[in-house]
Amino acid sequence: MDFALDDEQALLVATVRRWSEKQLRGWAAEADRAAKPPAGLWKAAGELGLLVDAVPEAAGGMFDGAYSHLARALRGYELGRGCAALAALVESNVEPALAVGRWGSAAAKDALFSAMAAGQIAVFAHDFYEKLTVAPDARGGAMVSGRLGPLPGLALASHVLLSAGGSLLLIAIAGRAAGAAPSGWRAAGWGSLVLERFEVAPEMVLAGAALEEVLSWYRVSLAARALGVAAAAIEYAAGYAEDRIQFGQPIGRFQSLARMRDASETAIAAARAYVLQAGWEIDRGVASATDTASRARDLAADVVAKTTIDAVQIFGGYGFVNDFPVEKLMRDARAFEVLAGNEALSRVLALTAASRGGA
Amino acid sequence: MDIFHGEPMFGAARQMMHALAEKEIRPIAEKHDREESMPWDLMKKVRAFGLGQSAMLEARRIAGDDEAEGEKKPGRGGRIAVVGVEELAWGCAGIALAIGGSSLAAAPVARIGNEEQKQVFKQALKGEDEQGRVKVAAMALSEPQTGSDISSLATSARKDGSHWVLRGHKQWITNGHSASIYVVWAQTDASLGRAGVRGFLIERGTPGLIPGRKETKLGIRASETAQVHFEDCRVHQDLMLGGPGPSEGLGDTKKMLDSTRPAVGAQAVGIARAAFEYLLERVKAGTLRGTPLGGHQHVAFALAEMEMEIQASRLLVHRAAWMADHKMDNVSFASMSKAHAARTAQAVTTRAMALLGEEALEPGHPVEKWYRDAKIYDIFEGTGQIQRRIIAKNLTGLNAI
Repeated sequence: MDFALDDEQALLVATVRRWSEKQLRGWAAEADRAAKPPAGLWKAAGELGLLVDAVPEAAGGMFDGAYSHLARALRGYELGRGCAALAALVESNVEPALAVGRWGSAAAKDALFSAMAAGQIAVFAHDFYEKLTVAPDARGGAMVSGRLGPLPGLALASHVLLSAGGSLLLIAIAGRAAGAAPSGWRAAGWGSLVLERFEVAPEMVLAGAALEEVLSWYRVSLAARALGVAAAAIEYAAGYAEDRIQFGQPIGRFQSLARMRDASETAIAAARAYVLQAGWEIDRGVASATDTASRARDLAADVVAKTTIDAVQIFGGYGFVNDFPVEKLMRDARAFEVLAGNEALSRVLALTAASRGGA
Repeated sequence: MDIFHGEPMFGAARQMMHALAEKEIRPIAEKHDREESMPWDLMKKVRAFGLGQSAMLEARRIAGDDEAEGEKKPGRGGRIAVVGVEELAWGCAGIALAIGGSSLAAAPVARIGNEEQKQVFKQALKGEDEQGRVKVAAMALSEPQTGSDISSLATSARKDGSHWVLRGHKQWITNGHSASIYVVWAQTDASLGRAGVRGFLIERGTPGLIPGRKETKLGIRASETAQVHFEDCRVHQDLMLGGPGPSEGLGDTKKMLDSTRPAVGAQAVGIARAAFEYLLERVKAGTLRGTPLGGHQHVAFALAEMEMEIQASRLLVHRAAWMADHKMDNVSFASMSKAHAARTAQAVTTRAMALLGEEALEPGHPVEKWYRDAKIYDIFEGTGQIQRRIIAKNLTGLNAI
């Protein structure tokens, strides 16, 4: 057992942290107002290797065969500390690239990796709420109907890796999703798309794909970013509480606010350790990885929800106005708990089914 | 429902305000939240409901309370207010605050203003402004460096002949950009501490009164919040609330909180109820794995928890208002009602979003809006921490730090 980062991980954390604090934080407020990412995001993220780290080297990427979800969690935490919306965009390619690289046909790989090589992005979507119908056809393809989204990245993406009806499908959507700007992750290029008897060719169906595994990748990444947002919120609040004087002393020296900070930092540290464990379990191929990832995401979503609300509380009236960063973080917190579905309920259903002897 | 339903006046007030909230407020709530705009048309329309911007000055008359009979006969204004504003906030808290925002300024005028000053205030709110809008008033107390600790105001008033000259900056001022008249709190004599803080009536257009920029906020976006600046703003001495002699100054305004805090709590109850009712409808209509959603404890117990907290919050609010109407010391109950309702509103909206799942991420979703609206209730009119200090001091006699 070793909790220390190796040299490569330490370098990754330091590099991404520097970029995230300088650029993502610098861009965050304006990107939120404009509800779109800054023009410089893609070039900068590309230079850091964030967009193609899961694309095989042969297809122009940086992936040499061993992807570390632990390293991705370390990175995601740092990105989340910068901006939830922009972090979501620069992390978006990983699931499609890894899944297509592993289970995709030659045609699927060619379609996706050539788009990514040209600077396009892809998004992963999981139809947890079963809003879509997927009808397999005799040739091994599928027909999809229903409304997809609103989802982050969909309005900007060339492709969506869709998990629906138990299948994993690669769908080219470039330019067809209608834009949307919800309250959280506003700069993340949200979009929705109505599919009407949309035909997915057989070579775009990822045969034999392990859907739960893809979901675990996604959940660990979401959880790591959520905790980054929580960490940023409490860092901002702690700094403010040192500067803000009321009743003759910095408000951070009142015990109730000190405890609020203390409890948040404890919760973040505990959840972060759990998320890193989930990433480690995926990397090692541990059987419990799926379950750990699901629980870690759930926990991280709770932590970011509570921490961002508390951070606004510490900021008081300033927390409620957008001159300060924390009201955005409270809006950003929400998406972390619902994207790709509510796992707490799923786990409860699994447990109760088992206890009745039905599993 | 309310515990005063035995008295027809409260039931009638509730029904009237609920109808207004449902028919007039709900349909425009999303638009004003998105546009961060005041509902000027509606504000004009609701004057007919006795919700004019100077209504607070006349609240006692409207409630049928007779001041002359004074101490013995309980009032009804406090209870009517909490029953009514719960419904308005159920419609939209931001719009409720836009409709009622001027009452923040009217309250100190009603309490410590003399007859002439009340007339000045009422006159300033008559008719429409140059843009054809209802005239509104602003209470200007908070400052950039003065939030919870209101005794450390930096805005100063210096006597110069028959005038006072005000300098300073005000922050988070409801109606601060658009008001036709301001009630501005400034320090007239720092050696007196709190007692030196006095209120001044200042009309729009007075040289040196500079309405500042509007804030972009997390929630209650239909209610305008702005900065206001005073640069050697000259105010005639007759416009100092309470007159020239010694006054309790700010201490006077603290008494108002006994009736305003339950009303603020009532708004938080309204938000919580809105989110709860929305979720309940969804649960009733939904199924999961062949079982009605409400048949799953995971969902049903969450609803039960919300119902408990909402009912408990409302009872505290109603008790605090009832005590105010009966002129009983309700300081602790006023704080408890406000703090508990604020916490309930935040918890209910947060949990409702989680249970609704992906749906609540849709742009313009009402529960997401209520989640954003709820937060201010733990901040303004005394933060949750300030309320707990008051409650605790009532228990221990100490100012806890």
